[in-house]
Amino acid sequence: MKNTFTRYFTLYRSFLSHNLKNEMMYRANFAINVGMDIFFMLVNVFFFKILYGNIDTVGGWTFYQTLILVGSVGVIRELAYLTFRKGFLELGEYVRTGNFDVMLTSPVATSAHLAFRHVSLTDSFGEGLMGLVLVGYGFAHLDAATWISIPFYLLMLFNSLAIYYGFCLLVNGLVFWLVKSQELNTVVYYFMNTARYPREIYHGLGKGLFTFLIPSSLIATTPAAILVGRADSGLVLLSLGVAAGFLTLGLLFWNWSIHFYSSASS
Amino acid sequence: MKKYWTVFRVNWQNALQYRGPTFISILGNLLHISVLLYLWNAIYLGEQQLGDYKLSDLITYYILQLMINSMVLSYISWELGEQIAEGTFSNFLVKPLNPLHYWFVLNLSGKLFEGLLVLLVGGILSFILINHVTLPSEGMTMVYFIVSLILAGVLAFEFDFAIGILAFWLVQINSFKYMLQYGMFFMAGALLPLDLFPEAFQRIAHLLPFRFLLYFPIQIFLEKEAQPLEGFITAGVWIIALYLILQFGLKRGIRRYEAVGK
Amino acid sequence: MKNSPRSPFVRGGLGEFKQIGNYIMSVIDVKNLNKTYKTHRKESGLKGSFKGLFWREAVYKEAVKSVSFSLEEGELVGFLGPNGAGKTTLLKMLSGILYPTSGEVSVLGYTPWERNRDYQRQFAIVMGQKNQLWWDLPPSESFLLNRDIYGVDHTIFQRAIDEMVSLLDLKDLLDIPVRQLSLGQRMKCELVASLLHQPRVLFLDEPTIGLDVISQEKIRSFIKEYNRLKKTTVLLTSHYMQDVEALCKRVLVINHGGIVYDGALSALSERYVDHKVIKIRFDSPQAPAPPDTLSGVVEWDTAHAVLKVPKKEVARTTHQLLSDFSIDDLSVEEVEIEEIIRHIFAEQPDGAGKRIEE
Repeated sequence: MKNTFTRYFTLYRSFLSHNLKNEMMYRANFAINVGMDIFFMLVNVFFFKILYGNIDTVGGWTFYQTLILVGSVGVIRELAYLTFRKGFLELGEYVRTGNFDVMLTSPVATSAHLAFRHVSLTDSFGEGLMGLVLVGYGFAHLDAATWISIPFYLLMLFNSLAIYYGFCLLVNGLVFWLVKSQELNTVVYYFMNTARYPREIYHGLGKGLFTFLIPSSLIATTPAAILVGRADSGLVLLSLGVAAGFLTLGLLFWNWSIHFYSSASS
Repeated sequence: MKKYWTVFRVNWQNALQYRGPTFISILGNLLHISVLLYLWNAIYLGEQQLGDYKLSDLITYYILQLMINSMVLSYISWELGEQIAEGTFSNFLVKPLNPLHYWFVLNLSGKLFEGLLVLLVGGILSFILINHVTLPSEGMTMVYFIVSLILAGVLAFEFDFAIGILAFWLVQINSFKYMLQYGMFFMAGALLPLDLFPEAFQRIAHLLPFRFLLYFPIQIFLEKEAQPLEGFITAGVWIIALYLILQFGLKRGIRRYEAVGK
Repeated sequence: MKNSPRSPFVRGGLGEFKQIGNYIMSVIDVKNLNKTYKTHRKESGLKGSFKGLFWREAVYKEAVKSVSFSLEEGELVGFLGPNGAGKTTLLKMLSGILYPTSGEVSVLGYTPWERNRDYQRQFAIVMGQKNQLWWDLPPSESFLLNRDIYGVDHTIFQRAIDEMVSLLDLKDLLDIPVRQLSLGQRMKCELVASLLHQPRVLFLDEPTIGLDVISQEKIRSFIKEYNRLKKTTVLLTSHYMQDVEALCKRVLVINHGGIVYDGALSALSERYVDHKVIKIRFDSPQAPAPPDTLSGVVEWDTAHAVLKVPKKEVARTTHQLLSDFSIDDLSVEEVEIEEIIRHIFAEQPDGAGKRIEE
């Protein structure tokens, strides 16, 4: 028996290539997707541009620093589409039609099978690309940019990806009771959408809420803060801890919630 | 007429069946709005200001934006597009229902259902924030506001329906729909009030009908709209024009649909 | 179907499958299995819906009730029962898709709902109404993916594909996108995708549903051949009696969640039916109504007649018919299996007999 890691890596590659072939069928769609993503990102930038036309800082972050926040969210989104997100978007349909059965009978962990089933390079490609551009652009305009921070930045991006995955497992796992997943997906969408505002805007109760219950204040802020040079070890440790916690809780909850799947026979 | 009432009622029962999602939906909206409130609060705490909006104006703007978004704006295009793509739309061809009217009622029923919930949440929120929101100073404003909401609802439905029936001509248009919808919302003033935009953008936004979806009603509510009556008439003209275009488009679409033989 | 000759199994002897011997370990062992669903009763109407938003009455439905049976290696057993009898629920519990409320199941020594990866590599479930193939890609792509999911060795994979493709006549279809295939072709591919890892146990839930007669026949013969070649243990549910008659010597009849019959298909009629059917074609036109002396007439016209006669009286009646009428052809037949099944379900309490499959 091959070890688990290589096995899942092979599986991931297989799923990715199948999804790519599938996406090739709709090449026009790809162009539209990229165009759309760039459009979305530009709207976000435009939003902050207008905002910063009236004010100087948001929570202490300047315009260029904010661009790194916005860009980081884009990059994390693309990474998420490349690893798990789309499967969760489709989960409601799987549960409603009973097609989730296949995930339960095949010899692959459901949390990975669902994640891999719809891995997509193209779905959020423009967002990732645009995100990189924004991060680069913002980075180039920083006063105190140090190249040494880049590997740490990347590391924390993956840490944020882990938080995101854990959060997805926790929220989307509710689908086994609700059957409908649209609302759950909206919650996750808001979660990522609000991640582009810096953590510093929260205070008091909100700070705790958006750190430990809905950790959106860490997703973009932690990696971006490293690049910008605002991060302290406390923030990094907090992010690492939250990621570990959410991943563990997410997997536990997910594996438990599967018990409540009542396979529809339509 | 009775058949449309039945459509309306059954849809409500359906919505109520799923109580979990309803609560989650409210929760999600609450969280979203609270993040925005934190954002504006942080900005104004730093003694900064956006245009001539007071903090209370902005808070009101976004609460109203979210409320109108779920109470008034239509999201039927997803289901409509899906039905066309999957072929279940054929049901309409054999039934004595006008699809345009059917979906209008369906949408209306859904909106009123959500509306009650959102009104409840928005009401509670406003009550908590009573000292931080801007309320109209005269009764007439509310009348104008309600008229503008009705216009917004009808217009939003028409745009959404138009996006939905694109499925007759295009396959796999989900992402395209997103873009159209998002662009529409942006030009409606969903992200930022239109008068904070650069001059040129403001002028374009003023010519387009999308401002009637969000910006226009909210401006009325905030008593910042100088020409509400002129706006009503313009919106009315758009509604009628779009209705005619939609009926025509629907006819063409169905002809194409039958030709493809789904 | 009405006048077709009986399947050979019906006339076959009782208990053929039992002779395999008791020393073979059973592959599937089900003991006292129960599954109770909790649903909510919703009052009708808008008012009821509003009430349901805050308070709902729980309703318990026993989908499977103390079911016990066991299957031996290589057996091909049919599940019979009306809609909602619990057939699919049972199969899903055996596959680990659903958790039982109570009871024990051992398939190949595993407890299905623990979803042990080694168990999952040794069984397959095919549901006629569900689709695991990639819609926009050719079936060969789905096969490749399943190869990786199940970790099938590449040469074994190729051999399995070749074998099944020739059995099912799929050669020309492998590179056509699934969405362009007919329902029957899709079902065949579905079977191939599910059997790539050469499962030792196969669950088939309505494998022929919605298919045309020719496809049904093709799939039936494939299942039979596959079972013969691979000694795969097969448990099958179907709406179509023909499936069960053609494939299964042994049947489990399930109704209201419980097993009401477990035994040879051929023994069903002996146990539940006490009469046979006599069909006659007259030589010359007869009176439009049967004579009073003749009992058990079901159909009668000037050219044909059908009689339902208690088994003891078959000989006497046949004799009487042959002497009283000028007969061109006479046959004595067993009652159709479908009718027997209907009879069994009708015997069950609370009018379940009315809900026979369409």
